[in-house]
Amino acid sequence: MRPSRIALSRSVALASVLAGAGAWAVPAAADAAPGKIGKKDGEYGPFFEDEPVSDTAHASSLQKKDKPPLLSVGKGRFCFLDGSRCKASLLISAGVGAGLRVPASDAGPDMPYSAFNVHGGFVIRPFMWAGREWHPWGLGLVASWSRGTGSVTAQGDSEDQDIAETNRTDAVRVGLLNQFWLMKRPHGLHLDLTVGAVRSEVLTSGYKLWGTHAEVGFGVGGWATLFAGADFLDRDTRLLFGLRAHGIISGPIIAMALAGMAIGGAL
Amino acid sequence: MIVAIAWWLAFAPAPAEAETSSRAIEPAAAASVEAPTDEVPTPTTDTTTAPADDATTPAEPVETVRAKVSAGNKQTKAPYYDPSDITALRSRYRLSEDIPPPRTAKWRCLIADPVCAFNVEVNATSAFAGRFKQGDVRDRTARKWASGRAQYDVWVNIPVLVETLGRQRYTRMTLGPKAGVAFSDTGDTWGNLGIAMRYWLGRGKWAPTIELTSALSFKIARRETQDLGGAEPKYEMHRGPVGIAGDIGFGLGGFGAIVLGGQYDSPLAREDVPDRFRTSASGMLYVGFRGNILWGGPAAAAVMTHGLTQRYGKEPN
Repeated sequence: MRPSRIALSRSVALASVLAGAGAWAVPAAADAAPGKIGKKDGEYGPFFEDEPVSDTAHASSLQKKDKPPLLSVGKGRFCFLDGSRCKASLLISAGVGAGLRVPASDAGPDMPYSAFNVHGGFVIRPFMWAGREWHPWGLGLVASWSRGTGSVTAQGDSEDQDIAETNRTDAVRVGLLNQFWLMKRPHGLHLDLTVGAVRSEVLTSGYKLWGTHAEVGFGVGGWATLFAGADFLDRDTRLLFGLRAHGIISGPIIAMALAGMAIGGAL
Repeated sequence: MIVAIAWWLAFAPAPAEAETSSRAIEPAAAASVEAPTDEVPTPTTDTTTAPADDATTPAEPVETVRAKVSAGNKQTKAPYYDPSDITALRSRYRLSEDIPPPRTAKWRCLIADPVCAFNVEVNATSAFAGRFKQGDVRDRTARKWASGRAQYDVWVNIPVLVETLGRQRYTRMTLGPKAGVAFSDTGDTWGNLGIAMRYWLGRGKWAPTIELTSALSFKIARRETQDLGGAEPKYEMHRGPVGIAGDIGFGLGGFGAIVLGGQYDSPLAREDVPDRFRTSASGMLYVGFRGNILWGGPAAAAVMTHGLTQRYGKEPN
């Protein structure tokens, strides 16, 4: 059999299997009935499932049952603390992270890099505005500012080495956020993917350039996000792994840190 | 062959129907079952009850319904009972009809409590620290000095072990990410990113707890005072390789815990790093108190420890 015939047969077989599998994946009529709690036609799969009914529960919780999302207005139309059932949310957080600064191979050694940052933005859930009761996808616009450790460049051989450094590295980022909620729980887990641009001083040049910024985040409701991000600038790459927390809880930490520094005479 | 298998897979009957048939019951038995109002009885094409000798006349489909666990009950949705059913059950077992309300946590679970599920908290640590730094490697010496340590942390506590008593759930163990900043003398500032565990040894508000944390610890800033060679005592960003930190705490409720811990800062001593940027291995052992800032006291203690340590503590020359 000629290779093209084999490919065609495989394609037909795969298409047929997928067609059959698709038929199995369509929910039974009873399951897709509009009367089902929290579901509409086309919403089928583990992410759309409601919490199973249970007759045991914790006596207290951050989010009261059957109430609008925490710190929200308009029954979740706008939330100051991002939540699974928020149609639009304000993002505001601060955090710390550590990683690596990787200059071009002839510009200097790889150095440890750490930074603190503030992060903010806005995210909406397009399909929930379009009428769906719940949908996992969120789309947002975010910006962040960070102050990190400085750059070190070393060029030349060990006998005649030209060494330069900067005290700190500030960076500003803007990006498009794609958010995928993995569960319906109020403080459920979600994936945050951000792609955008960064503007920062490159190495020890003193010049600020634009570069590319990408980040993967793993969030716990609107409370905290564990993130791994990278800034790709000309001959200057920075990798950072950290955690940022919502302003409600990071704000007091910043206040206490500043108060301690003030008492210690460090400001 | 592949095409044949594919067509068979595509048009083979779904196995779910077989399960439906096996769960069907006879019409006579079904007559006594109260059909739910929100679910249409499932018709089946089971022909086993049709006359076998009449091959020409098509057998009329026999309607069957699924057995319902709600049979004999007014409720058609989970959990299939209401308060009157609970009252009847309690009276059957000669229990008081008055069910005491469960204890609830204050501050919407911003202070940890076994009656809370997911919770978020901000902790502040104030501790005495014995610090050390590697000295001359030829004679294996280390510089040691007494200092303080203040740390401010966010804990995200996810219940991973839950205990059920009656209809109440109690959290037995939480585990989750935590992050914060730690301060010591000379303006030394570290970021802290790790995991926190808390195990509850009871269900009360003041139940004893065991807390374990482990974290990556990384230098962020330092204050180069003049006595340490700095031109002026400015607070500057300062780098260092990622080290580790961890502690164990023995606490009471979500109020606070006595903490014993340690931290190790990895050295930066690669040959390709210019001399003046290299750092020695260092660390500290500390003992102190960590508590939720909403109580006030732990926050005040940590801020004072932070300030006094930075003002009066210093690394020896």
